[in-house]
Amino acid sequence: MRIRLVCVLVAMAAAAWTTPALAHHSFAAEYDANKPVTLKGTVSKVEWTNPHARFYVDVKDDKGTVTTWNLELASPNVLRRNGWTRTSLNVGDEVTVEGSWAKDGSKMANARVVKLADGRRVFAGSSGGDAPPPPPQ
Amino acid sequence: MKPVSVVGLPLALAVCALVAVSAQQTPPAPTSPAGAGSQNRGPAAPTGPAKRLPNGKVDLSGVWQGGGPVGDIKLGLAKGETLPIRPEWQKIMDARQSKDDPEANCLPTGVPRRDPYPWRILQTDTHAFMLFEGNIHSYRQIFMDGRKHPADLDPTWYGHSIGWWEGDTMVVDTVGFNDLFWFDFIGTPHTEKLHTLERYTRTNLGTLVIETTVDDLGAYTRPFKITFTARLRPGEELMEYICNENNGYVKHITGPAKDF
Repeated sequence: MRIRLVCVLVAMAAAAWTTPALAHHSFAAEYDANKPVTLKGTVSKVEWTNPHARFYVDVKDDKGTVTTWNLELASPNVLRRNGWTRTSLNVGDEVTVEGSWAKDGSKMANARVVKLADGRRVFAGSSGGDAPPPPPQ
Repeated sequence: MKPVSVVGLPLALAVCALVAVSAQQTPPAPTSPAGAGSQNRGPAAPTGPAKRLPNGKVDLSGVWQGGGPVGDIKLGLAKGETLPIRPEWQKIMDARQSKDDPEANCLPTGVPRRDPYPWRILQTDTHAFMLFEGNIHSYRQIFMDGRKHPADLDPTWYGHSIGWWEGDTMVVDTVGFNDLFWFDFIGTPHTEKLHTLERYTRTNLGTLVIETTVDDLGAYTRPFKITFTARLRPGEELMEYICNENNGYVKHITGPAKDF
């Protein structure tokens, strides 16, 4: 194991300017911030496309049944401007995803945070950033 | 749900920690905190005076962000002003469903709605163009050669725009709109009677104030004014954005537009 200095930029509360960070549709119209989900599984597909990058995670339950979840990210344009690349997430990656469940109850969620098996957090940018944090536990 | 503002990077604070990582080489982790998936990279907008073109007019060119309604056009009204919408059109608006927002279905935002993606102004002697990265990745064309609106216009998403200068303000007069786009996420409506008058004033190098008079006696009882401000994104370039390439999930959008 190596020890490395890892620095994360944290945005301060006051800024030179702010902009509403919204996607081509509103977060609240599709996802419920009060229904947080945590999914652990293997990435089976990555779609680096507009209007939303998307990845699919195969989640195995304790009976061994696999359910494939469809996770929505911000557009690749937004992700790139926030340090993501096409290879930030890859098929086969073991991930833990924190996000908000789709309002219609389907196996879809808006990804807020993606954690890789080695502990690295890959920030998701959600639907352009307007996803509020989940309710306190 | 009120729109959430996202802060810009200029006042970012680096939080460093010593972390044990595996010996395997890994690409650097993205640096935006979770939930702050904004487009705010790069330096702060400059504040010096705007430059001039060789013809003496203000140079409005550059890559901008913002400058129009996104979630709610009422955010652009002056303090204390209300939207003078006709009661029957308020009912139409209240019945609109989010999944039917043309913007969510990769159709144009029209005028004056914006999306949060960067856009560029390009000026020539005879035209001004606004190139939009987001939405349908298209452009608005403004005729700056003194022509008038044609008599028989087919209704279109962006209308027919003619522009001129009043001092240091570029004025854009647009008619010939269709009634198919929405003014914002919550579904604020309009009719084909819509006539917009936009005033673009670059108050300093980094700031473009856009005041729009919305004149539509079909859906409103009188014209009303909205003001939004665009910020310059120095060093930014437009990226391709093809909304239709993978937009198959609109069916998952539920609920009324007004609940945004």
